Amino acid sequence: MPDISVGLNCPTCGGAISIAEGENAVNCPYCSSVLFVEGDQGVTTIAFKNKVARDSAMTSTQSWWRRGLKARDLPKTGKVIETYPIYLPFWRTSTRVAGWICGYEERRHTDQKGNVKVERIPKESMVLQDYSYSEIACDPGDLGIRSLRNLVGESSFADFEMIPTFEATTSKDDAVVHAKTDAVSKARSSARVPHVTFERLHVFPRALTMIYYPVWVVRYNYRDRMYMDTVDGITGQVLSGRAPGDPLFQSLAVTGGSSLGGLIAAGSIIYGSSADDWRIGLAGLAVGLVVLFLAYRFFRHGSERIEGEFKDKKATMAQTLKQVQGVAKQLEGLR
Amino acid sequence: MRVIQVKCPQCNSPIQMKQKDSLFLCGQCNAIHVRDGGIEKLDYEIAEFSPSAQGEKVYMPFWRVYASFVIRSKNVEGGSMFKLMSFVKGSSDGGNMFIYIPASEMDPDNFKRMATQFTSGPPRYSTRLNFGGAGRLPAVVNKKDAAELADFVVVTMEAEQPGVLQRLDYTLTVNDTKLVYLPFVRGASGLMPAL
Amino acid sequence: MASVKCPKCAAPVPFDTEVKFVKCPYCNSQVYLDRTGAGLYYALPYMVQENDAVGTFRRWAAGSTKAKDLDKLAQIAGVKRQYFPVYMFKRDVNGVEQVLIETAGSTTLPGLHNLKVPAGDLKMFDASFDVKGAELIKPDIEMMAYMNNLPGKPKEQALVYFPIWKLDYVFNQKKYDVVVDGSSGEVFSSEFPTRSSNAYIAVAVVGFFAFVGEGLLATSSLAIAAGLMAATVIGIFAAALYVARRM
Repeated sequence: MPDISVGLNCPTCGGAISIAEGENAVNCPYCSSVLFVEGDQGVTTIAFKNKVARDSAMTSTQSWWRRGLKARDLPKTGKVIETYPIYLPFWRTSTRVAGWICGYEERRHTDQKGNVKVERIPKESMVLQDYSYSEIACDPGDLGIRSLRNLVGESSFADFEMIPTFEATTSKDDAVVHAKTDAVSKARSSARVPHVTFERLHVFPRALTMIYYPVWVVRYNYRDRMYMDTVDGITGQVLSGRAPGDPLFQSLAVTGGSSLGGLIAAGSIIYGSSADDWRIGLAGLAVGLVVLFLAYRFFRHGSERIEGEFKDKKATMAQTLKQVQGVAKQLEGLR
Repeated sequence: MRVIQVKCPQCNSPIQMKQKDSLFLCGQCNAIHVRDGGIEKLDYEIAEFSPSAQGEKVYMPFWRVYASFVIRSKNVEGGSMFKLMSFVKGSSDGGNMFIYIPASEMDPDNFKRMATQFTSGPPRYSTRLNFGGAGRLPAVVNKKDAAELADFVVVTMEAEQPGVLQRLDYTLTVNDTKLVYLPFVRGASGLMPAL
Repeated sequence: MASVKCPKCAAPVPFDTEVKFVKCPYCNSQVYLDRTGAGLYYALPYMVQENDAVGTFRRWAAGSTKAKDLDKLAQIAGVKRQYFPVYMFKRDVNGVEQVLIETAGSTTLPGLHNLKVPAGDLKMFDASFDVKGAELIKPDIEMMAYMNNLPGKPKEQALVYFPIWKLDYVFNQKKYDVVVDGSSGEVFSSEFPTRSSNAYIAVAVVGFFAFVGEGLLATSSLAIAAGLMAATVIGIFAAALYVARRM
């Protein structure tokens, strides 16, 4: 073991002093001199007390099995193999954004003769808010957790010796950079100015803390396969997990999706031809195809249900709709 | 990592201070200095309490940013074009001004209220040489952030005039930043100015 | 647990990895752990046991992109327990903390394109650390070889051993391998037997256009269209169920 220990003494009176991580100024308890810590003084660290018992982590998992189109026989066939708590490290910070975003919104009006009038509504919007940010401070691996949903808990290091603690292996300054980017994008979307003509935003990162958050890892067996889910050690809710899907739900999805999508397309083609506007038919066909695509995706990949922030998780419904909207806008531009 | 004793850069006497504050006040010569990114002695002034001030007296730190503000062009939709704010002294398209930035911990709403209130109506006060036993709130905003916040306050006062701001081409040059302690009294509804 | 000598009373002070300050349990004085000049050895303990690793592989193999029934048909030819080394450097580059992960040897892991230190409970890797019979892959690049070429000032540098399960399996007379991270259970793989999407696409597309056609037909003869639609629903559902189960 290399010699890495250094005693901490007051440079004035030689008395032993004590410094908490993240503090850069302390008072000597003996001579009351103000002392300054130069260099790497670390980050203020807190740990939340684990409030969830093993049994309730298992109960949450078992009720989670019944929700979300998972295999119908999972509650009967699934068997919990092991359940253990861990402490996961998170960087947590709050970032104040102050600034203005000005610009305009365009609204299209079509009158009865089919003339399109574009109305331009000017907008100015102040942003002055603190945005809180958290990110996992180690590799997320296959835990499916990247940020914290709950930020309140009883601060205590009492369980620290008992529970395996995952160490922070990412840079604290990288986390601050991510927090700044996150705050700016949240500020921009809160301003709701679609076309920006003037923007001046100032970003102020505030104190960074490290939170050790208790999480239960539940490993369970289903037909010789090992699945896993995680349970929040404070709220008791399932945070993330993988579970088997069911061919029945996959088949129902594609049957429903292709019929609904096909009928939407057919209906709008009929309506479009009677109203003598081919665009209505085309739009209906596009909507029908979107419905079909969403149903197909569930049909193709629904054999495993993935909940949480996993790497291989397919985009959510909202994200997909956004992509579709983007494509639609481009098409509109071409026309 | 190294632990050092904090000494006053002016008179070299050790600092004795109970509160946690990034501004170190010397009990001997009353100099204030900071240590984040090098030792810097700060120029500051303390405002006198109004003689009628009643209750617990507290000093709140502000950065008074003295800046030249020049608008090159401005585009406002709706409302009529407004001339520059009346508090901007000098020519009609720019001038020098004092911008007050609260330096203590404050939520966004209070921050904006305090900053615009003191910037649009600069406080008048006579100064004194010490805190006279009144407490002072610790500062959390540093001088560099104060310059950026001054920019925000100036744009806010422009944008809050009638009409919808569409474009503002301007320069804000900070000439000087001074630490100012303004007097407050603790009342039932928080801290109230006691100038 | 690893320990350092208390600079005040010389007693051994146990400490956990990644903490900066510890308190001596004997004389109660605080000790600062200065890692800037030391090269440390860390290791992650196994949290996934052999059965769990095989089960995790089967779950992965049952995934929608893998060949149908790969979880059942893959024959596991061998399971190896190994400790894989990487270097972790924490640097101070102009006041900004940077973490750099570098390879410690010529051995690579299939599917692990970006080296990383997997999530886990870092322990001091010393004589008291139990590798549980795992094969230790020795680093063949020295830490010092990196030290002189990295930006900034050192904050901490360590060789980290992380636990893996290496599984070899055979599918359709072809050999494949896959790595299961022994700490967090993540699966790494570069090549695996895949499943075609064609049957899935066919069902969805046929269903869609059948309904478009029947919808258009409904304007002329509603009864016939309704009958056809009912037949299509049953047909598509049956075909979909067959595809989802077998293909």
